[in-house]
Amino acid sequence: MSDNKKWYSLDLNFKKKKETSGSCGCGKTSGGCGSHNNEMTDDAFLEAAVNASIGDEVRKDGFDQVFDVKMDRRSAFKKLTASLLIGAGAVSTSCSVVTGDDSKEKAQIDWEEQFKGNYKLMSDKEKKGTVERLMRSYELRTGKNISMTSENAKEDVLFGYAFNISKCQGYMDCVNACIEENNQDRNSQMQYIRIHEMKDGNGFKFDEADDNYYHEVPAEGHFYMGTQCFHCDNPPCVEVCPVQATWREDDGLVVIDYDWCVGCRYCMAACPYDGRRFNWSKPEVPEAEINKNQHYLGNRMRKKGVMEKCTFCVQRSRKGQNPACVEACPTGARIFGNLLDPNSTIRWVLENKKVFRLKEDLGTEPKFWYFMD
Amino acid sequence: MNRKKDIYILACLFAVTFYSCKHGEGEYHSLHDKIEAESKTYHDTTMTSEAFFNDIKTIEITEGVHTFLIPERKGQIKSYACIECHTESLDKLKSKDMKKAHWDINLVHADKNTMNCATCHNGNDMNNLNTLTGNTVDFNSSYKLCAQCHSSQFEDWKGGAHGKRIGGWVPPRASFTCVNCHNPHSPSFETRWPSRFNTEQIEESHEGLAQ
Repeated sequence: MSDNKKWYSLDLNFKKKKETSGSCGCGKTSGGCGSHNNEMTDDAFLEAAVNASIGDEVRKDGFDQVFDVKMDRRSAFKKLTASLLIGAGAVSTSCSVVTGDDSKEKAQIDWEEQFKGNYKLMSDKEKKGTVERLMRSYELRTGKNISMTSENAKEDVLFGYAFNISKCQGYMDCVNACIEENNQDRNSQMQYIRIHEMKDGNGFKFDEADDNYYHEVPAEGHFYMGTQCFHCDNPPCVEVCPVQATWREDDGLVVIDYDWCVGCRYCMAACPYDGRRFNWSKPEVPEAEINKNQHYLGNRMRKKGVMEKCTFCVQRSRKGQNPACVEACPTGARIFGNLLDPNSTIRWVLENKKVFRLKEDLGTEPKFWYFMD
Repeated sequence: MNRKKDIYILACLFAVTFYSCKHGEGEYHSLHDKIEAESKTYHDTTMTSEAFFNDIKTIEITEGVHTFLIPERKGQIKSYACIECHTESLDKLKSKDMKKAHWDINLVHADKNTMNCATCHNGNDMNNLNTLTGNTVDFNSSYKLCAQCHSSQFEDWKGGAHGKRIGGWVPPRASFTCVNCHNPHSPSFETRWPSRFNTEQIEESHEGLAQ
């Protein structure tokens, strides 16, 4: 179906498939497709699970991903088998009398994690449970400890952010701090924040902006502005999520349950501000650089095939600390605070400076304002 | 018949307007309304940002309606107190046979017609600063000198739009004062290299397209 046909027709496999040379039905020519070996390592296990859920989609474009899905019996069975393997593997390890206590506990954790509910619907006890399991699982796997919390939104808090365009000089210190704080994948160079270099006198033209500068800053005749997730009060990304893996918390943070996300990227398409990022590959952070102060909804380690984005550093902000970008900015261009506190600095900015937001007419109500001196 | 139709249309119109005032899950028309309504019942959160100040010592100041903390300054000045050296008159200290001090200070602030050393320092009272009218200002309140000319920046700083907040967003508010970011003798910033590449730049350099 790779011809130019741009409509959907059901492929019931009446036509004989072209067999690819010397391979099995999964299309791979080398290595195992997952349905042949019975003994899998933990990593291969995870790989198989991810492949079963998103599989070859990573290498196709949008149209092909949606419509070019061969659903003959063989591939359907293969996907089913992969999911069953996960369950069966866990059961066999946990019931076995020969395996050690550690691997039994690991299997138990994997089992409970596999079948836990959506974080949004969890009670505080369940939240604590999953966080403890994840910490224990990390300890069993790496022998090192992390601290993870499931702190809920505080009452009387609504987070807001203001960005001073006159002050930003394009130093990129915020981006560095963000990557370190939030354990972003170093391989794919994931960055939540984008700093745009724009020409003076041209206004906001994102298509003409240089997002890719590398020269001494600030450059003559240019100004700089940053974008990231704006934590809309009426977030379109939340509306489109088919599995409700993303939602707005009571303190205004738009968050993602990485364990509930199926990686469909609808939210990425729905976001008018380029605020969301996708893990195309397995995120990797050198062990020494991992920020071990984590939050379930924030900077805990992600996996391949899930969405992530700025959370206003939920692991910091819910404790009263400023997000890493605010702390790192050497110019004071970034202001963060509680919109409900009439004496907060963010409220003073909103009430006394000439502020505006991007694409205000969409009604998304971003909680991220821009202003000038 | 016509009357019935009119009533029907009116009823429909009423129903539509009635329901359009309620937006399903959200009770507010706009974020602005929400902030206004919910901040009416605001009471302080129990958190405090003091834990995030680390080893920065602060002092409380009140300017207009704003009361907040700024870092203590005198303890940070290496050669304070000034009178430990300034025991004699400036003319004598400037004479050739004395050891040179403050050789690294180069005044690049406004121009020679507007500013010289004596605009802020008083040769007869080196331990304090002085205003344009000759009043004494403590080194810990040096922002008062800056505010003499930079009044709009001062307004923004008091409110929180200029300058940088220390530690956290919860009260008590602590903000850096002018001299924590600006060198008073040379207050403007120099250009520098960004601290990292942008994403695209790195992708290209991986592919060998850019250096």
